[in-house]
Amino acid sequence: MSMIDTARHAAPAASSRLPPMDRRSLISTTVIAAALLLALFALPPLMSLYYTDTMTQVAIYSIVALGLGLLVGRVGLYSLGQLAVLAIGAWTGARLLFATGQPFILVLIEAGLVTMIIGSLITLPALRLRGLYLALITLMLAGAVTVILATVNFPNGGGGFSGYNGNQLHTPHIRRPSFAGTDPAFYRFSVIVAIVMFLLVFIHLRTRPGRAWAAIKQSEPAALAAGINTTFYKLWALALSAFVTGVAGALLAGADGQLYSIDFPVQNSISLLAVVLVGGAFSLAGAVVAAFLQSFVPALLQVWGVQQDWLTIIFGIGVLQVLATAPGGIADQFPKDMMKLYGLISRLWRRPTAAKPAGVAATEAKGGDPA
Amino acid sequence: MPSWADFQPFIVTGLALGGIYALSGVGLVVLYRATGVLNLAFGAVGAMGGFIAWQLIHDGVPGWVGWLACILFSGLLTLAYGLVFGPALAGRGPLVQAVATLGLTLVLFGAMDLAWPTSAGQAPGITFPTDNGGFTIGQVQVTWTNVIELGAGVLITVATGAFLRYSKLGTAMRAMANDREITATLGVPVRRVEAAAWFGCGLLSGIAGVMLGDPSLDATTLTFTVVISSLAAALIARLRSIPVTLVAALVIGLVHDLLTPIQQLSNYQNMTPFVLAAVVLLVASRSQVMTRSREEG
Repeated sequence: MSMIDTARHAAPAASSRLPPMDRRSLISTTVIAAALLLALFALPPLMSLYYTDTMTQVAIYSIVALGLGLLVGRVGLYSLGQLAVLAIGAWTGARLLFATGQPFILVLIEAGLVTMIIGSLITLPALRLRGLYLALITLMLAGAVTVILATVNFPNGGGGFSGYNGNQLHTPHIRRPSFAGTDPAFYRFSVIVAIVMFLLVFIHLRTRPGRAWAAIKQSEPAALAAGINTTFYKLWALALSAFVTGVAGALLAGADGQLYSIDFPVQNSISLLAVVLVGGAFSLAGAVVAAFLQSFVPALLQVWGVQQDWLTIIFGIGVLQVLATAPGGIADQFPKDMMKLYGLISRLWRRPTAAKPAGVAATEAKGGDPA
Repeated sequence: MPSWADFQPFIVTGLALGGIYALSGVGLVVLYRATGVLNLAFGAVGAMGGFIAWQLIHDGVPGWVGWLACILFSGLLTLAYGLVFGPALAGRGPLVQAVATLGLTLVLFGAMDLAWPTSAGQAPGITFPTDNGGFTIGQVQVTWTNVIELGAGVLITVATGAFLRYSKLGTAMRAMANDREITATLGVPVRRVEAAAWFGCGLLSGIAGVMLGDPSLDATTLTFTVVISSLAAALIARLRSIPVTLVAALVIGLVHDLLTPIQQLSNYQNMTPFVLAAVVLLVASRSQVMTRSREEG
């Protein structure tokens, strides 16, 4: 989303004055490119191991938030069980990484595809249900997946289909790609995978499916009347969301090394929806904000010795506030507030100086004080 | 395969559990019908009330005061939420309103974990004087608590049904379920009826909370498992029929507990509500026709 856009917008920028809209997108692409360069090259040497791992989680959860934000913000499908989808991806990824010697990237794609197939198969019949009912079915499915995972457990290097060996004393770590064995290298790898996933979704949003989703979100009957196959495009959105979430799951398996079913409780699905809503479900930047809220802020609080429960409470308040007053979330609200602040400051700055030249000009033109 | 005798005690506990799910489900259905809000914070509010009751009783207050405090707290908290966020989110559609109650759930969940950490001190739990007394049917021990739980479920369902059918307020609620605007035009004080529905739903969540606090209180179980189970019952009734809610809740409670002696399935018994609700919903939705945007929001 960064380089291509920068190039496309930079070319006319050199020749002619920019319309205000283009200037804004130029600014945003520059910011994104700078942030990515910073994240890829400047941050790793500066960060301690703790923050490297935390930032890896941020990269992974930005993909998860991307998938959920796509459903909530673009299509209007509220999924209350997205963490269960992540767990399916993580399980598949871990199992494949233990069982086969395939390259890591191939496993990522396979985990995404398996998650996509499972997610689509589960939701295909549920798509007949609308709105509230679909959301509740996803909550039920998330609960069911949690129960199954608690019994089946995550693979820890054992044999059989489940790959779980309860008697094992030393559980081997889930392997990482050969070129990203260390934590900083895996962090860079995660950021790159996240960029690819964001690009994938971005391309979808800018083409036919994105327009179809927008139409469905506005009004499903109207979209249907306009000739859009609503079931097909809703399923497409769910499949794409499940795919990126599955990839994130496999990435999580590599990042954590060991996975436990207690890491994926039902309440985290709900807090995930909360951070996506608070971060901003309507924009891609919102997914990154959501990931920081989900992974970085808790890590920071842990360093400061603040209880995580406060964060849960704040997220709850945040959800209520976002739904009641600021549907765009932080990603939408923060730039607006900054623009307001900028306007306020610049007005304060200009008032004493601007008043004088205006007065001077007036006196010069009229040749004296009118009074 | 276990013998019939192994199942017998679980029929009793299953029906008792079903009774609690029934009154919770009825609370959800009534609120949804009257206000259009599906209260997903039902379990969290009840759990919070349960913890407050335990704390009070722990500090030496008589048991019944604690139970009443729990029920009253839950009623008032739900009413307060309804008064603040009901109007603020009115007209935003059932989905947004349901998600907003998840916000309340998170707030309460965090507050509970903060005030009563899971690891610290003795495990909280509410006991009833009726836990030990009881009678036997055949060889099965039935405690009075079991009887009260099932009885409360059935009684509250019947009472709610009668209330909606015959009382003025109940009629107003049913009218609002049909069409809010027309009801308001007819001179029904919509806000007041809604407030009554919120308060009633809160009271029921308090009752469920105090009953499920016996023998042990666990914030996660109460907040999520319970709301999902009673929600499943309400969903099976399509958020509409109160008798169906009762039957579905009893079936869910029964199936859940009857799976306990079957070794291969006991690990999966918590899936009962999900599976039953999913199957019923998917089968029931087969005959549905195209959406009306009005319903959806």
